[in-house]
Amino acid sequence: MSSQTIQQMESARSLALGDGRYYPTIIPGVLPIIGYSADQSIEIQRWGADFLAEAFASPTWPLEAKQSSAPSVLATLKAYLENVEDKSVVKSAVQVAASVYPLVYRHTVSNTNDGQHWQLMAAIKSNILRRMDEAAPGVRICCIKFLQQVVLVQTPAVVDPRRPDHNDVSLTLVPRDHPLMPYASLEAEGHGLLDRLLDIIHGDHSDGLLVTGTLNSLGMLIHRRPNAANKILGSVFNFNPLKLASSPMTPKNQVIIKSIERTTRALLVNIMKRNPENPVNARIQQYLERMHRTRVEVFDQSNRKRPAPTEPTDGLDQAKRQRLAAEPPSRTPSVQPLPPGDVSWKQLYTLNSEGTTANFDVQAFKDPEQLLRIVVPVLQSVNAAKLEQAINAVRLRYQMLRQAAASQPRQPTAPAAEDEEEYEPDFEPEDAEQLINKLDGLSSNNFPPQAGPSTALAPYKLPEAPPLSEQDVQKYGDMIVHRAFGMLSSVDENQKSKVTKGGFNRLAASDYNRDAWVTILSRLATRASAGLDDPEEGIKDEFAVKGAKGSLKVSDAVRDGIYQYIMYDWKKRIDVAISWLNEEWYNDMILAQTAKNSAQNGAVNGHASSDLTKGNYHRCALRLIDGILPYIEHTDKILLRFLSEIPSIDYEILVRLKKMAEDPERIDLACNALHYLYMFRPPVRTIVVDILAEMWTENDRAKPSARKLLVRWRPEVLGEEQSNTPTMKTEGDGRLTKESANGALEVKAAS
Amino acid sequence: MSADPRLRARQQQAAATTVATPPPPPPPPIDSQPMGLDGANDAHAEQNTVPDDSFKLKFCTVCASNQNRSMEAHLQLASAHLPTISFGTGSLVRLPGPTIQQPNVYHFNSTTYRTIHDELAGQNAALYTHNGLLNMLGRNLNIKSYPERFQDWVPGKPRLEHAEDQGSQGTESGVVDVVITCEERCFDAVLEDLHNKGGKLNRPVHVFNVDIRDNHEEALVGGKAILDLALSLNEAAGKEREVHGEGAWQSGGGAARSGFDERVPDILATWQERWPNMPALWSLAWF
Repeated sequence: MSSQTIQQMESARSLALGDGRYYPTIIPGVLPIIGYSADQSIEIQRWGADFLAEAFASPTWPLEAKQSSAPSVLATLKAYLENVEDKSVVKSAVQVAASVYPLVYRHTVSNTNDGQHWQLMAAIKSNILRRMDEAAPGVRICCIKFLQQVVLVQTPAVVDPRRPDHNDVSLTLVPRDHPLMPYASLEAEGHGLLDRLLDIIHGDHSDGLLVTGTLNSLGMLIHRRPNAANKILGSVFNFNPLKLASSPMTPKNQVIIKSIERTTRALLVNIMKRNPENPVNARIQQYLERMHRTRVEVFDQSNRKRPAPTEPTDGLDQAKRQRLAAEPPSRTPSVQPLPPGDVSWKQLYTLNSEGTTANFDVQAFKDPEQLLRIVVPVLQSVNAAKLEQAINAVRLRYQMLRQAAASQPRQPTAPAAEDEEEYEPDFEPEDAEQLINKLDGLSSNNFPPQAGPSTALAPYKLPEAPPLSEQDVQKYGDMIVHRAFGMLSSVDENQKSKVTKGGFNRLAASDYNRDAWVTILSRLATRASAGLDDPEEGIKDEFAVKGAKGSLKVSDAVRDGIYQYIMYDWKKRIDVAISWLNEEWYNDMILAQTAKNSAQNGAVNGHASSDLTKGNYHRCALRLIDGILPYIEHTDKILLRFLSEIPSIDYEILVRLKKMAEDPERIDLACNALHYLYMFRPPVRTIVVDILAEMWTENDRAKPSARKLLVRWRPEVLGEEQSNTPTMKTEGDGRLTKESANGALEVKAAS
Repeated sequence: MSADPRLRARQQQAAATTVATPPPPPPPPIDSQPMGLDGANDAHAEQNTVPDDSFKLKFCTVCASNQNRSMEAHLQLASAHLPTISFGTGSLVRLPGPTIQQPNVYHFNSTTYRTIHDELAGQNAALYTHNGLLNMLGRNLNIKSYPERFQDWVPGKPRLEHAEDQGSQGTESGVVDVVITCEERCFDAVLEDLHNKGGKLNRPVHVFNVDIRDNHEEALVGGKAILDLALSLNEAAGKEREVHGEGAWQSGGGAARSGFDERVPDILATWQERWPNMPALWSLAWF
């Protein structure tokens, strides 16, 4: 009878397979037949459960239609789960529940008063959750999938408002005030069940079924529930796919380990591929590499598909399978003798220098946890006899070294402490070599250490250096100065023009830039020896310029340095020249004031005193101008800047312009400079005009340019060409004329 | 594939107890199984088939191009009366051409085996007869009409239009219980594709990999290995069902593998010992 019924239902099924739209009409027709009753045949129940699973999984009819059919099957489902023992029926029923749960969930969200179906669903859920722990593995995997579905719908989704997925059933759909579905408890349950799901992969691996089943169900959760993704990934990162490696390596365990590892890899690779920009990808990559290394470790050679058949075949296949039954005859490992002479720790512990482990770097394991997972299984698999032999071999070596060292003055004592802490991982002879890299860092001859001196020595003293001659002192001093300027020019190149000038707010020499060094050096030149050599200063200096090399004075050496430094690139270093000359001038003024007891010119107000002409400023300024002038071209406006900014100008300085104007090309430049000085430096107007007049009289080529200016400033010169303008006035006179001239000329200029 | 010389001793021991060994490389035949691997290439002995009135798992074989390895296995499984479908995971169907730089490339799901066969026969019948391609295509076009791509497969979509294919009986609903891939690359591709499909059917599927090199001889041996695995799995599934009182179960429809899932690792491990040259992988995935 049952086979006949099944035949009939089978034809209904093929109808639905042909067109999914028939499901909503077929299911109500089939339900009364397949529904549970005590005398119902098992075949019909199996068929019914399978059919419902197939129907609700089928992609051939829309979710909306499934959603309206779903509540009708809950009672049948519940009856199956509560009354039927047959695994096949239960498995299919759980699969149906997994497919139906989101449908009933959404149905309840929109039908707030349909408590009956939601309660049926809740009963089914608690029935399945109860089975989670004690059911047969085949049923449990289906429960896992059900669990995953519950987690999926009870975790909030991240909804993209531009592209809402109406088929995605999630906690986001549930209103906060739903009478049947309290949001908070749904969310809490989702969390709890996710934890339960994740616990599975950390639990027993012995059948591989649950673990791979869970891993394969996590992928879609990570993808569709970004909120939970981090938690899941975190758990997966802590997951050890090679957990079984510590148990006996039976063929089954080998298959399971490889399968779990591969499944984990597939999951993580899929996550990476889905979102190549995911920031967590780096961690995944790291995890995968670590897993691969561990796998290679665990399987050593046995994992290679076709190992090169070069090893001797001894019939025991120790490379293929771990030693389970027969131990290979324990041949005494040939211990190589230590090389003569000093021996490193590495050499001491290396029993098998050809071994690949000798080059193994423990430091490759950044994660101590990972190392632990390897070391512990390794320790468990250590062959006691081999370990004993290895320890004895090392012990013997150590003994011999001690005896050898005993004949030497002292015993090594320092290594003892090291020994304690560094010997830790050496439980297997091969493992000893893991130390090697660390020990390699130590110098190879620290064992045994050099024999120290037996008695204390008197404190060691360096022999006295021979006294420096004067020439030496000068030479070294010059070298110092030379270096200082060498440093200055290198600073120069690095930070030219990017420094913003502090102006008046700047503290001189407060940092290490060029200006600071210029200040320091120019003050060193000007003030270091100020006042030490006043008596015959004036006379001596005049000659000392030429003989700077021979002079013992540091100041002049520094001045020389500054001069050379400026001349090396005078256009760019004109500011150095100006600040140096300012320092010189200032120092001269200070000296003049301290020395003005004589006070023959109390009216001096700051420049052009007779003393000053003898000071360093005047000398240095002249030297600089003489140095620069030959190189000045007619376009070098920088001369104007120089002349306007140096602190003091007198006839002797300006008369150099007249000399320069002898070069017809540079007449205009000279006139421009004089014009500029006349306009913006009133105190020197007299001198300027004097110079111009001289140019006019002495230099025929300069006449046109000079005339233009003289017409405005001193027309009388033009009239009486032969007449001599006052040339070498005393300063005092010059000032007097200047004052009067100023008055007269200013009126003119204004007119 | 080269046989591991270190295993030769073991193989010979095992072989000593059996009647005959298959052509090289000889995997040790199994005497516990109800079938005899008798080395006859194309003749599938009667005892290899599964009676139609017993329970049957549904199988799916997968290789890169759905031409050689998966089709050989498809043929062998179908000949044993097991419901079977087959797929390729590559982006295109690739077959060797006149030189290594000129492969023959076809689209999945649209180019029939017959078209490919006729085209190659027109191109260079001697060459493609010599390298066995025409022979292979001739076999394939008798099994089903065109190569299918795994990634384009919609599990759960009824396959009524494939009713003419060999082994189609029982696969009408478009789902299978076991997927067997022939290469690790395909295994990874299958797992990844199942992740992408998202497990919407909530239906467990055992995915296996059996490493087979892509040539005719290896495909033949690999097909036998896969058949061996399939029969072992099917036997276990059927047995578990009978334990629970299976009576006159007629149809192969629906998922019914109770109690058999947990035995899969054992079955695979035993199988691996019989076929040590084809490293196996396995994972429980979801449709």
